[in-house]
Amino acid sequence: MSDPQPKHNQPEVCNCKPEELRIGVFVCHCGLNIAGTVDVKAVAEYAKTIPDVVFVKENRYTCADPGQAEIRKAIKEQKLNRVVIAACSPRMHEPTFRRTVSEAGLNPFLYEMANIREFASWCHQSDPKAATERAKDSVRMAVAKVRLMQPLQTIEVPVTNKALVIGGGIAGMNAALDLAEMGFKVYMLENTQSIGGHMAALDKTFPTLDCSICIEGPKMVDCARHPNIIIFANSELVKVDGYIGNFKVKIRKNPRYVIPEKCTGCGECKDACPIEYPNEWDMNLGTRKAISVPFDQAVPLIYSINKDYCIECFKCTEVCGERQAIDFNQKPEEVDFDVGAIIVSTGFDVYLPYDMPLLGYGKYPNVIISMEFERLILAAGPTGGKVIRQSDGQKPHRIAFIQCVGSRDKSHYPYCCNFGCMYTLKHVVQLKEKYKEDVEVYVFYMDIRSPGKGYEEFYDRARERGVNFIRGRVSRIDEDPTTHNLVVHSEDSLLGQPIEVEADMVVLATAAIPKKGSEDIARILNLSRGSDGFFMEAHPKLKPMDAPTDGVFYAGACAGLKDIPASVSQGSGAASRAATVISKPKWKIEPIISIVDESKCRNKTAKCGVCQDKCPYGAIRIEQGKPAQIITASCHGCGTCVAECPQHAISQMHFTDAQIMAQIRAALEDKPEEKILAILCNWCSYAGADLAGISRFDYPASVRAIRVMCSGRVAREFVLEALRLGAGMVMLGACHLPYDCHYISGNYKMKARTDALKGMLTKLGMSPERFRVEYISAAEGIHYAEVIKEIDAEMKALGKEKIQAENAKLKPILDNMLKRK
Amino acid sequence: MPFKTVKQESADALTLEWMLHVKNYKLTLDKNRCVGCQVCTLACPKEAIKTVKQPKLPGEKAKKAKVDIDMAKCAFCGICDVTCPYGAVKVTLNGVHDLSILAKDSYPTLVRDIKVDTHLCQKECVECEPACPLSLITVSKVGFDGNPVQDVAALSPAAKKRVQITIDIQKDYCPTCRVCEFKCAAGAIKVKKAFEGTISINKGKCPQGCSDCLDVCPIKGALVLGDDKKVHVNEMFCTYCGACKNVCPVEDALSVKRTKVNHTFIHSGTWNKALERITSPTDAIKELKAQAAESRRKVVEKRFLSEALKNE
Repeated sequence: MSDPQPKHNQPEVCNCKPEELRIGVFVCHCGLNIAGTVDVKAVAEYAKTIPDVVFVKENRYTCADPGQAEIRKAIKEQKLNRVVIAACSPRMHEPTFRRTVSEAGLNPFLYEMANIREFASWCHQSDPKAATERAKDSVRMAVAKVRLMQPLQTIEVPVTNKALVIGGGIAGMNAALDLAEMGFKVYMLENTQSIGGHMAALDKTFPTLDCSICIEGPKMVDCARHPNIIIFANSELVKVDGYIGNFKVKIRKNPRYVIPEKCTGCGECKDACPIEYPNEWDMNLGTRKAISVPFDQAVPLIYSINKDYCIECFKCTEVCGERQAIDFNQKPEEVDFDVGAIIVSTGFDVYLPYDMPLLGYGKYPNVIISMEFERLILAAGPTGGKVIRQSDGQKPHRIAFIQCVGSRDKSHYPYCCNFGCMYTLKHVVQLKEKYKEDVEVYVFYMDIRSPGKGYEEFYDRARERGVNFIRGRVSRIDEDPTTHNLVVHSEDSLLGQPIEVEADMVVLATAAIPKKGSEDIARILNLSRGSDGFFMEAHPKLKPMDAPTDGVFYAGACAGLKDIPASVSQGSGAASRAATVISKPKWKIEPIISIVDESKCRNKTAKCGVCQDKCPYGAIRIEQGKPAQIITASCHGCGTCVAECPQHAISQMHFTDAQIMAQIRAALEDKPEEKILAILCNWCSYAGADLAGISRFDYPASVRAIRVMCSGRVAREFVLEALRLGAGMVMLGACHLPYDCHYISGNYKMKARTDALKGMLTKLGMSPERFRVEYISAAEGIHYAEVIKEIDAEMKALGKEKIQAENAKLKPILDNMLKRK
Repeated sequence: MPFKTVKQESADALTLEWMLHVKNYKLTLDKNRCVGCQVCTLACPKEAIKTVKQPKLPGEKAKKAKVDIDMAKCAFCGICDVTCPYGAVKVTLNGVHDLSILAKDSYPTLVRDIKVDTHLCQKECVECEPACPLSLITVSKVGFDGNPVQDVAALSPAAKKRVQITIDIQKDYCPTCRVCEFKCAAGAIKVKKAFEGTISINKGKCPQGCSDCLDVCPIKGALVLGDDKKVHVNEMFCTYCGACKNVCPVEDALSVKRTKVNHTFIHSGTWNKALERITSPTDAIKELKAQAAESRRKVVEKRFLSEALKNE
């Protein structure tokens, strides 16, 4: 998303120098969690010796009420204007203490945490002395940073109290209806001719076997009738600009060649039309007229002409007569509107196994997929509910169902489709109850997965009906060319022997795959997709409906496959998540964003725009001859632009170059050649390091860690400065490529930058192992510990002398390079 | 989506199929009947049909142009079926040749106006049967006893008188060339052409010794090689199909223009466009004007009639 709207309510930066720095340091015992390893007293005593520190206090539990009360009291009594809390990880209690200091009247951005639990006491239990040293350094680093901190104000942006729902399936409809009921205006975008999604094409729903369209139809009509819902069917998303609370949406209404306002849905045109074409909605089993609706219950009930097949005889126009609803000259029409939140509910597609030739789909007429079977057994379907074979139109007597076609298959789609077992159970129960003894049913399965209310009982029902379940992967299907009967070759893994079954018809339960066009939606809304192609949530457990882009939410199968009840719940869930945004008149944004020093920006005089290119969110606007502008509300605060700016004209609030440099200098004040300087990104590698501590993985205490929001923030200068100061080793921690980055692509930007940097440093005579980039996820505590062990061992192997010698050679060059800074 | 289409080509036929689970649309082009003319290409509303000129090998006669149909564009409407003067295309639904465009009045049928009055036939005569260049005519003679008669000349004059003659013409495949009419000495056959128009050869441009047009012309006698080694036309037999035009090696040497198509009365956008392409915009307008005049006449007649009834 790029934003054309100049939005400039940047945080006010207090440039007035505070009269005098009065820093208070609070060292937490955390019971014995910290005090058991780290000599807290020594740390506190050391803190008193750091310049500008005027007050030091130990607490048993800083985060408990008495601990917090002491901080508040000290701020007031000691007139503290900066606070350092040496306790646990900021990922744990930073928000808690922000509240504490602001309750005492101090700006919440004037405090910093020193992580001496996860990063000292817990991970260096075997070496309390080194742990204490690391804790002292951590406090020194925190004090160094807090000295340079500035008070920041939370940013507020106005909110448009409307929502857009993309995709009118069962999840999207529920989201739209809930929001509409709450009183919000909802735009519903659907790219096919009718809302309803896959559910409208189903016959029955498991495990209750109630008719799908009978329960969904009324909801579809509710959507159409609701005064707060506007449906744009047969339309597509073109562009979305803006940010949470203020999205500007552009959609395109594709021509139907029928004027919606004039079409009464009578269907006389359909009767007059001589041309039929395969009905995609019927899985092309049957046909529809060149002017028609995809199915009788379509909502909105507006006919459409398919110009690919229409022969333009104008018989429809003739019968439409005075209603004049048909317009052969209709053109695509673009519509713009504003919304405050967007719900993505684009659903999934069904995989067609053309690329699995051994199963013969597309080659043998009697091999069909489950969705086709669904249309066959449906009473309103093209065969009127008769299950018949394509080859001869006869009813099959032996039907084989094959599970997991393409699903749970490493060479196709490795994931489980989540509902394949259940819909096959539904199909076999339907068949057995419809044709009784007249049909023999085989199900070839890997595992029957039936975890849901009433699902296992439904499996029992299928078994009681006499369905033959054979556990085994089907290797191939052969066809008898005269009878068109099929022979299924499989193994029976329970008997441990091969098995052959002759069947009249084979039904393949194929994989469900990401919706075609997901990549466009992802591009337009700046969403990331997982390796499976489904949209990535902001957090898979705790924010399952939140997209990484603020103000965008997911409902249903587009973010991972779900059955109907789960999609319905997510629809309502996403509606409530969206309501948390659009129910407010204003939205607050964290001020940890980038700002441009207009006097330094090169774009004023030359064509630059580096920051615009590198910003993963399109939050920077470049106009020729003007300094770069940051769209405050679009900026997510990764800091990539800061690291990329060739003029150092951009800085990130709360993570300024000066603050991070001060931390580096503080970390490397003493015996730098024996230290590993680690710069970790907040979301993955810092969390991974936290996990190493939480898991009590012991690793060498030579490491000194600095937190940044994203690895993309790590400027070359940070590495150069660390080496100039003589650091033994430098390590960058980032999220895994390609999809893990919390800021979409910050890790890629960092990689490009550091690849070049490493080459240069090696050329200058640095041993290549002294600078490395590691990709560590939040779950890889053990990996972090291993990496630090490895780096420590390498450092020892290089030896202090070699490092010092290299540093002596490097220093003058680096001094020169950093002089500009 | 699993939309199965099949396109097959053999020496005798080109078939296109939509293999749907419950419906089977099939188009068959009979290559033996197809003459490689221009009509289906021009009539097709989806522009799915192409006529491809075949290379002429040295020492061989010219080959008729080949008709190819684009599966992706074809809508199986059957317009080519209805319009083909030689009846070379058949479109069926589930094996039944019953076109929806005709049932729904979306397209007219060609009028092959052939009148045969067997009373006028000479009892011995079978001239028309061998005369038909496409062998579509069968003459059968039945005696007074109901048995087929082989040799009329051998019968007694009385028996001869009582011989009944039936002339069976496969109208669906008849391009209305009028050769049979011309050959019939008794004037028993009257044919009105389905396509009317003009054909002319620019003598200056027609290359001497070339007989490509003549080689592909399905109606023997419509084009003749003159003593001057140039091709001459016999307008009487020409069906104005344009097969000759497709193979003529020299631009503007041969011109075929259709000016009128005899068809059943219809109101259809598709037909108007097809007519415009088959004939010319001006000729199509003529028909539209005539149609308009016809409907005006009907309106007036109706009103006049109702007033007349009122007065009564």
